[in-house]
Amino acid sequence: MDKFDVASSQKYDVYASRLLPKEEYFVGGHRSCQGCGEALAVRWVCKAIGKDAVIAHATGCMEIVSSGFPQTAWVQPWIHVAFENTAAVASGLEAGYKILARKGKLSGNPPKVVAMGGDGGTTDIGLQALSGAMERGHNFTYICWDNEAYMNTGIQRSSSTPYGAMTTTSPPGKRSIGQPTWKKNMMAIAVAHGIPYVATACPSYLFDLYFKVKRAVETPGPAYIHILSVCPTGWRSATDLTVRLGRLAVETGVFPLYEVVNGRYHLTIDIPELRPVKDYLKLQGRFRHLREPEIEFIQRQVLAHYDLLLKKCEAPYPEFPPLSQTEEGE
Amino acid sequence: MEEVGLLINGIYLKVPQGYTLLQAAQQLGVDIPTLCYHPELPSEGNCRLCVVEIGEHPRTRLVNSCTYPVEPGLNVQTHSEKVLQARRITLELLLARAPKAKLIQELAAEMGIHESRFKSEDPYELCILCGLCVRTCREIVGVSAISMANRTPGKLVTTPFLEPSDACIGCGSCAFVCPTEVIPYIEKDGKRIIWGREFELVRCNICGNYIAPMAQLEHWAKLTGEPVEHYFVCRDCR
Repeated sequence: MDKFDVASSQKYDVYASRLLPKEEYFVGGHRSCQGCGEALAVRWVCKAIGKDAVIAHATGCMEIVSSGFPQTAWVQPWIHVAFENTAAVASGLEAGYKILARKGKLSGNPPKVVAMGGDGGTTDIGLQALSGAMERGHNFTYICWDNEAYMNTGIQRSSSTPYGAMTTTSPPGKRSIGQPTWKKNMMAIAVAHGIPYVATACPSYLFDLYFKVKRAVETPGPAYIHILSVCPTGWRSATDLTVRLGRLAVETGVFPLYEVVNGRYHLTIDIPELRPVKDYLKLQGRFRHLREPEIEFIQRQVLAHYDLLLKKCEAPYPEFPPLSQTEEGE
Repeated sequence: MEEVGLLINGIYLKVPQGYTLLQAAQQLGVDIPTLCYHPELPSEGNCRLCVVEIGEHPRTRLVNSCTYPVEPGLNVQTHSEKVLQARRITLELLLARAPKAKLIQELAAEMGIHESRFKSEDPYELCILCGLCVRTCREIVGVSAISMANRTPGKLVTTPFLEPSDACIGCGSCAFVCPTEVIPYIEKDGKRIIWGREFELVRCNICGNYIAPMAQLEHWAKLTGEPVEHYFVCRDCR
């Protein structure tokens, strides 16, 4: 998918969206909340993956709402696995198809193997299985739906919850400002494994998301995509603001959209002027208790993180030496 | 809706009248390779890769499945020897035309073709003249800024008289739909360059982020009947 490099994907505007595929792989009738950003992301990720795929999905919001027995919203073959072993199941699937192909029992291309999980199933519980699978170099794609807390069990904090956010296990009060730690940088962890493709995406930038998933699935070897999915229930925001909140997260620099191809950082949505973080925070009830000093602290931190990212994008050499000898020099 | 029964690869199925053979085959799950077909656009039958064999044994013929409507009792073969032979030759010709196009190389390799017997005119050509961009500009965007020019040896997709076109609104849909990624579409520092024309991007009056080229905002204003100033504020500030 070189198309992605030719034009920054948000700029296809209104007309190209009518040319995207119409087949649905994540069908309606599931029980996600009103305004769920995750369901929107799942729908478009499944469209980008296409029909020849097997999905291993961790326990989490999307599993709860879409696969209550005896119904399912998934059209592709879909395996529900526990929190901790999503990536392990995906690597088993990939190895299985490899063996079948070697024995001559599989005609044509093997199906794409995709693992999916929420932020809890990725950054907390499933991290060691994911780390192992990425390190072993299985040809699979891991997609993380990041709604920044354990939403389906009742908004408990995870390591992906941003600084200052109110959750039921990090309540703000006299001696607490909510989540006391900064959000875990899962992207850097994935990049540190030396895998060929890592990216962040957000369903508010549809073409960006679509091309990134397509590219991740086509990449031989492990690929990791971190998708910010707005959760009106847990973020205490209005349900009609889902798409806008996703865009504001990008425009304020809280969640920059970039990709790391063979260790090279590349900003895919380049915002000419960052908005103040306040625009993003004030729409969410989970940040309602924050006062000026805390907001200023968040603003400083966000800008520092963004600057660091820009520096990484300008770095003349990749983050890690490329594994393959055939990588084209730039 | 009235339904038509026909046989595809010996399997009987019923599809609504007005379906093309390609749509019927896709409904059955039969995979027919195509390059110029898009479900949202009218079919023109340019690439000739989707040919199928129709008719009873001694009197069969090859037709384009993307333009041929279903007929009652029609016997269709999608992967017979005659069809595969025709597809291989088409692919060889396409490979001679656009030897560097990755999509063509992959399709050809799937059919067992690794090099073409025909002479290549331009080894760096990428365009396969599928016409998707032209149809997109006409049907989806509705401005017809690009079209096919000249007859076969010199045929190309271009703006009128090879000059930057005033009709183009710089939406980039043609670059999006292009299967071989041949349309150069660059966006940098608030400028967008496509089809030789440079578009200055309008900035949002409130937040200062780029929205779209002026020509596109004027096109929206014309379609909706709103004053063009309505679009000078981006969707997040509106």
